[in-house]
Order: sequence, then C-alpha cells, then structure tokens
Amino acid sequence: MTAALDKGLLPWLAAAPTADTVPSGWLEAQRAQARARVETQGIPGNKAENWRYTSLTRLLAQGFVPTAESLTAVQREDLEDLLIPGLESYRVLMVNGRFMPGLSDLHDLPVGVRIAGLAALLKSDPDALQGRLNGVVGDAQPLFAALNTAGLDDGLVVLLERGARLERPIELIHLSVGMDEPRVAQPRHLIALGDGAQANLIERYLSLGDSLYCTNAVVEITLGRDALLTHQRIQAESARAFHLSGLYLRLGTASRYQGLNVGLGASWARTDLCVRFAGEHAECDLQGLYLAGDGQLMDFHLDVEHQLPQCTSRENFKGILYGKGRAVFDGLVRVVRDAQKTDAAMTNRNLLLCEGAEVDTKPQLQINADDVKCSHGTTVGQIDPEQLFYLRSRGISAARARRLLCLGFAGEILDALVPEALREQVTEQVGRLLEQAPLD
Amino acid sequence: MLSVKGLRAKVGEKEILKGLDLEVGRGEVHAIMGPNGSGKSTFAHVLSGREGYTVTGGSVTFEGRDLLALTPEERAHLGLFLAFQYPVELPGVNNTYFLKAALNAIRSARGQPELDAVAFLRLMKERLKVLHLDDSLLKRPVNFGFSGGEKKRNEIFQMALLEPKLAILDETDSGLDIDALRIVADGVNALRSPERSVILVTHYQRLLDYIEPDFVHVLAHGRIIRSGGKELALELEEKGYGWLGEEAA
Repeated sequence: MTAALDKGLLPWLAAAPTADTVPSGWLEAQRAQARARVETQGIPGNKAENWRYTSLTRLLAQGFVPTAESLTAVQREDLEDLLIPGLESYRVLMVNGRFMPGLSDLHDLPVGVRIAGLAALLKSDPDALQGRLNGVVGDAQPLFAALNTAGLDDGLVVLLERGARLERPIELIHLSVGMDEPRVAQPRHLIALGDGAQANLIERYLSLGDSLYCTNAVVEITLGRDALLTHQRIQAESARAFHLSGLYLRLGTASRYQGLNVGLGASWARTDLCVRFAGEHAECDLQGLYLAGDGQLMDFHLDVEHQLPQCTSRENFKGILYGKGRAVFDGLVRVVRDAQKTDAAMTNRNLLLCEGAEVDTKPQLQINADDVKCSHGTTVGQIDPEQLFYLRSRGISAARARRLLCLGFAGEILDALVPEALREQVTEQVGRLLEQAPLD
Repeated sequence: MLSVKGLRAKVGEKEILKGLDLEVGRGEVHAIMGPNGSGKSTFAHVLSGREGYTVTGGSVTFEGRDLLALTPEERAHLGLFLAFQYPVELPGVNNTYFLKAALNAIRSARGQPELDAVAFLRLMKERLKVLHLDDSLLKRPVNFGFSGGEKKRNEIFQMALLEPKLAILDETDSGLDIDALRIVADGVNALRSPERSVILVTHYQRLLDYIEPDFVHVLAHGRIIRSGGKELALELEEKGYGWLGEEAA
C-alpha cells in the first residue's frame, strides 16, 4: 500500500462491513476486488486528468472513518422541517447511509415495484442483486466508486418490473447527522427499470445541524427498452460537509433519462455522471444548476459515451458563483466510430458575481463518426448591465435586481423540476441562498 | 414638475447635450422631435439615470429634488418612468413577478403598504381592461421572445401599473406598424390625466396624430432650437427639419 494511501484513505478502508450483512461469496469477492483496486490506484495527484482542477488534500486531511453503527436516535419529529409541503411521495429515509424503515413511508406500492434497503435485501434475497450490483459501474472503478464498493453495505434498491409505473415520485432523503468523529457514509443505490417502466426518483442530500461529515454515494441505474426515468438530485448538505457522488447510467433501446442535478450545499462537492448507451434511439438529458459561495467548491464531471448509433444526449449546466466560490465543469461527450446519427449538445453557462469567484469549465467533444450532430458551448459572464438598469428604472433596488436576474438565470433549470412542490421548494432555497450571498 | 436648465452631457469624450432647457408642468404632454443624432435618446437616458453618460453642466429638478443626484430606482420611486426604445429581454424573470416586485418596491419607498398577491392580481386585471390588453404577456418572461409591438405594449402596461408622475416615451413609435401604434397610443391616452405629465421623444410626426401634445420642441445638436404648439409638428412633417436652418440640419 502506498504511503499516500496510508495517510489519507486507510481509515476509510479500516472498518469491515457490518455484521448483519450476510457475506455472500460474490459480494465478498467484489469488495475485495474493489479494495485491491483502491490500493493499486492510490490517491490521484493533480496530474490525473480527472482531478486536474480539484485537489483532494482538504478531503483527505479530515480523517473520515466509516459510519459503524446505525443511528436510531432520529425521530419523526426531527424530519418535519425537512419534508417538502405538498409533495406526495414514496419516501425512503436514510440516516448516515443507513436505510431507516421506521422513518420511511412505502405504503401502497403498486404491483411490480420493489423498493427496499440494500442491506436488508442482501440478507433476505441476495440473488436478486447478483449481477446487478456493480453491473453498471463495472470492474474498472474510479477511486471513490471503488471505495464505495469496498465499504458497501446499505443503500436504496428500486426495481420496477416491465411496464410498472409509479404515479407518485420516489423520494430518497439522505440525512446526515454529525458524530463525534468525522464520518463517511457510503450509500449504494441500485435503480433498475424494466421495459416500458416509468418513475420519478428524487434524491435529497440533507443534514441535521451544521456538522462535518462526508457522503460518498454511488448510484447505478439501468433502463430497459422504452423505460422513462426522471431523476432529480438535490445536494443540500451542511456547509461543512464533503459530498461525493457517482452516477452510473445505462440506457436501453429507446429509453429516456431526464436527469437534473442541483448543487447547493457542502463545502466541497464532486459529482461524476457517467452515461452509457446499451441500445439505439435512447435519449439522455442531463441538466444541472450549481451555486457556490465563500469556501465552497462544486465540481461536476460528465462522461457521456455514444457507443451506439441514433442516440441523443443533452447536457446543460448552469452555475452561479459569488464570494470566493469555485466551480469546475468538466464535460466529455465521446462519439465512437460507428455511432452515426448521434445528436449531442452540451452547454455550460456561468455567472460570476464577484471578483474572487472562479470557474474552470471544459466542455469537450470527441467525435469519431462522420454523420452526427454535435455541439458544445460555454460562457462565463457577469450580470448584464442593460438588464440591471431596466429593473432599476422600474424602482427595484440594485441588490434586488441582481438577485432577480440570478434567479432568472437559474430559472431555466429550476423550471424543469417536477412536481411543482419540489420546484417551489428548491426555487425558494435558491432564492434564500442568493438573499444571503454577496452579489457584487 | 420638471425643470431642466442648461443641461450638458457627454458620452465618452463626445458632448451630446449642449445646454438643454425644458420646463414641463403637471399634466402637460410635450413632444421632443429632432433628426437622428440630435440627442433625443441621450436626453431620455440622462433623465432616467442610465450609466455611460457624464453630466458636465446644468441642472434637472424633478418634484423639487435634484434628479441627477438620485439612483435610477430612486427616480422611479419619485414617479419617473422611462418607456424604453428597446425594452430589455429578461429570460427566466416572470413578467407578473417582475411587475409585482417593481410596484411593491415603489410603494414601500413611498411608505405605502405592499400589495399582496390577490390585491396585485386584481389591480393588474383592472389595468389590462383599461388598456384593452389580454393577459397572455404576463405569464411569459419579461419581453423574452416578444414581438416589437408586444414589447412596446408591455412598456405601456408597466406605466399603467406604476402610475408615474412623469412618463418619458423614448421613440415608442419606432418599429411599430399602424395597428400596434394605435394600441400603444390608445394606452397612453387612457393614462393621460391632470396629474401625469408625458414627454414623447420621437423622430416622426406620425405618433402625434394619435397622441396630441400640448407642446412641441425641436432638438438639434444638443439644444432645443424651437418650441411651439402642435402645429409645429405639422410644419416639421411638411417641410422636414431643413427649414429650421443650419442649426437643425
């Protein structure tokens, strides 16, 4: 084991998975393999392409250790402030990476829909997960996915059989509660939609109190033929938190994925979105909005590979940076040689409101097919003085006008949130952040 | 209500306004006409507080206050309104939300209670009716994707809602066909009152067929070179600006 690993990540690997998970042979093998992968990879330095703009130093200095025991002290009353008024959902509650059946609300699930905790399912029906777990991430796992696999024990499992449809969204609330020692929670979520199945999954990363912790989540998603998944992820971790999340998506023939990532919280956040097409005529829509102020880093990495013809992908991310906020957008769309008729468009637009704010944006297309429609664009700009003057000439103060324009900029993404209750809540939260932000 | 004395202003190093004098009384409608480059729009912009202009001399008093010392929003609070020649598009900013924010900002600056959503909607409906406008523009982002006519109508609607004491219409007639022009003019006429003054900045006499001014001024090379009644506009229409001599050409 390298000395660098020894210093930084050894504690993450230290704790064994909990005893109540039955050690199936295949799972143990996957864990061991992942652990070996962590050890051989070591910690990527700033020369590593994927970590060129983001340093791991601050994360590794925290000495995070895995959450050992489940936290049962959280009561229903503690959750009231976290719920979204008017949002009718199948609610799954996780605390520090552990599924809490007592705090979840999964009544009246229709036939053909299974929603369960990963640990419980590994115990009761491990065969249902064999081949699925790590099925999308694969063997060549990046560092933090491998760490997640090595420490894997709980998460959310959503399985929709062929043609199953959920009218209500599935809402995953991942709640973190600070402990004496800085802890890392490593939930693994598995989402599989059968042919023609449809669902709306909302992931919300929240905290109780202003504590220091780390989330290292991995989500694996497979969509069958003609399946439709709306997937909305709201990262609103505590201001001191570290947040890592890797999304690994495989789209079946003519399936559609509508993804929306909102990054608002955490002191240091890194999101990896990795998309693979397993059938033709599939459509993948990735939208994102991030805000970063003093002491905050928001890092989004997109890796979309069109390895089959006739698929469409859209990547549209917008950022608002203020104070000394920093963001990274590193988007890569690859089109392999035979992926003709690929239609891909990637944009990244940023509003820099203060001198000290900073963004590194690098949208890239690698095209090896000749009959494709691909584009990319990026902007980094300030608030338009003409727009500002227009609002002020109507009596609106300069500060308020700036906020209105920022909200308008964010609106394109926020307006896509469904249902309305979620849209309103997140829009309000963005409004509150802008209210507190120094905007000039 | 508005008293402009010897106003001089520069854009960059270039002096555009060279000693402009104008008195506007309560309830009066003044038309300011002039050839391109005479300083008409600069005058409108300087009054509204737009950046990019340096006032180098003279004074502007509005409702007893030194207008030039105020921010654009303070001028709006005092009752000044500029209808833009090119209304600015605000993608993502809902028109209704914007109008409510503007009205409530002005109300609270004047010490009036803010209107809640219900009272605001009621007021909005009432004003739409007065102007014979439908509400389709209100659900869209401010001016975003609006046609030229829709943008100008939206300006007039804002004016109806914000009830300024002095409205400056900067080339509101430009780019409008005759039907759109009539709608805009009808709106302005509906808002005429003994309490409200209007300055119409225009290149063409055409607008004045629909909105009858009390006074007409000719602006050339940064100064008002002639003032008169509405018949002056007719003369300009007939003879162009040339007859006013070297000064106007």
